[in-house]
Amino acid sequence: MSAASLSDHIPDLNLITYYAEKQQSCFSCLSPWTKFAYLILIILLVTLSGNLAVLSVLYLVLLLVYAAAHLPVRKLLGWYTMPAVFVLSLVGLMAWSEPGNPVISFAVAGFPLVLTDKGILLIITLLLKALIVVTFSLFFLMTTRYMHFSAMIYRIFPSPLDQIFLMAYRFLFLTLAMTASILKAVRSRGGGLIHSVRVQGRMFAEVFALVFIRSFERSERVHKAMIARGFSGSYGTATTIPALRLTEYLLIFVGAAVVLAVALVIPSYGG
Amino acid sequence: MTIIRTDPLSSPHCRHLDKERELIHVDCASHVYPDGSVGIHDMCFYVQKNEIVALCGPNGSGKSTLIEHLNGLLTPSEGNIAVNGRSITKGEITDLWREVGVVFQQSDDQLFAPTVLDDVMFGPLNMGMSREAALNAATGALEAVGAADLVQKLPNYLSGGQKRLISIAGILAMKPRIIALDEPTSDLDPVHSGMIEGLILELKQRFGISVVIATHDLDLAARIADRVCLVRKGSVFAEGTPDEIFYDEELLQETGLKPPQIVRVYRAYCRMQGILVDQHPISIEGMMAAIHGK
Repeated sequence: MSAASLSDHIPDLNLITYYAEKQQSCFSCLSPWTKFAYLILIILLVTLSGNLAVLSVLYLVLLLVYAAAHLPVRKLLGWYTMPAVFVLSLVGLMAWSEPGNPVISFAVAGFPLVLTDKGILLIITLLLKALIVVTFSLFFLMTTRYMHFSAMIYRIFPSPLDQIFLMAYRFLFLTLAMTASILKAVRSRGGGLIHSVRVQGRMFAEVFALVFIRSFERSERVHKAMIARGFSGSYGTATTIPALRLTEYLLIFVGAAVVLAVALVIPSYGG
Repeated sequence: MTIIRTDPLSSPHCRHLDKERELIHVDCASHVYPDGSVGIHDMCFYVQKNEIVALCGPNGSGKSTLIEHLNGLLTPSEGNIAVNGRSITKGEITDLWREVGVVFQQSDDQLFAPTVLDDVMFGPLNMGMSREAALNAATGALEAVGAADLVQKLPNYLSGGQKRLISIAGILAMKPRIIALDEPTSDLDPVHSGMIEGLILELKQRFGISVVIATHDLDLAARIADRVCLVRKGSVFAEGTPDEIFYDEELLQETGLKPPQIVRVYRAYCRMQGILVDQHPISIEGMMAAIHGK
């Protein structure tokens, strides 16, 4: 598949899968279970600790690991756009009501709005937390072969969630390819994503309606093809996931100990 | 075999050619879609053991609808379909997919699993095979289609030809008695078309599987089919051997098809030489022999 990326700000599934299948870094040799365990530990850590210093160190370490795995660091900056926008749109409102020393204050329609140092700290902390999880998730996806990843999903999630995921992943590729080809057709005639949304809003609505309708039709055809092979409601994967080695058990143990220590010892704020 | 023109009005039931060899018998089946459009109408069709049947007709003639009936994806609104003498309409057979495998026109619609191996194992597992037996069946099928090296690939990264091979392997792994392929060589380059063509012949010769192909590629039909059925307006209205059918200009015109390249070349040669078209070659070798014989 040679579908072009939809946007520099949306994680490119094709590129992610390319890196995952290339298996060129030492992290690819790790069992997917080890990386999954670390993902859980990292989520636990960012949930339990709000210490800025801890989060900053963790983020820097993850960036180094990401770079050491020969993954595209520049792309990462673009891919941060969506989580950053998501966090800012949520925290942007909450930050104004945080108590602390005022940094910026002004009035809107008679109501005073004050942004305090704690408010700014909250924005930075939550942004860091989001970027940490996004960075490690991307690292996990880009160093784990998809066949192993899907087998993990099959074993972890209960039915029908596992079925939905297994089917959705492949379908996502097809829908993205379809969207990319439609956008290519738009661009080939002078349209552009931002330009066209502004100027040709109606046309874009039609494009996305077309993607929806085509996806719907395709899902009907896929379902038909599954029924033709006796599909009765569930299917599994045949892949065996590489087992954990002794050193990996140790690695997880050390990670868990660090998370526990950080969560218990270091206070949340004021780092 | 002589050309048989089917006239549904002349007899209430379709005839049986050879009951002993018959695997599928479609008896005056009709299908009307929910929107009122007629998919097939008084369709008479049969498939015999160890033969390749080509369903030829223009777009919208009912070929794909017939193929979906053969697998049980659709059931006829009227008429009957019997497999090995057991009727679908009467509910004597409900799991037709075990007997008749369908390879769809768009391989992307068929390959939905995360990996090639998962996809090929899907059918055998649904048949109730153990994981190990399904793995063996899948590996064997992939080897048979010459795609054993693709076993751990993701379907997204396969070429169109490879996807088509995997689609066929997914059906072959279920060891059906009949495989129906909808436009098997559409959108493929000549090399992959040739591979698929060779594979279809192999399905019949090596595995003893009867094959039904729905196509408007008459060149393909001329090269590999034992029997050609011309489909028009939802019915098979003529059938015969490829040489009989493809040298009958009037019949092809009625169906809205053009003769295969080899027929056109041979006719042109005869016209240029001022000789009668008294032979009906449908392969390059046959045409060369016919030319040298003159």
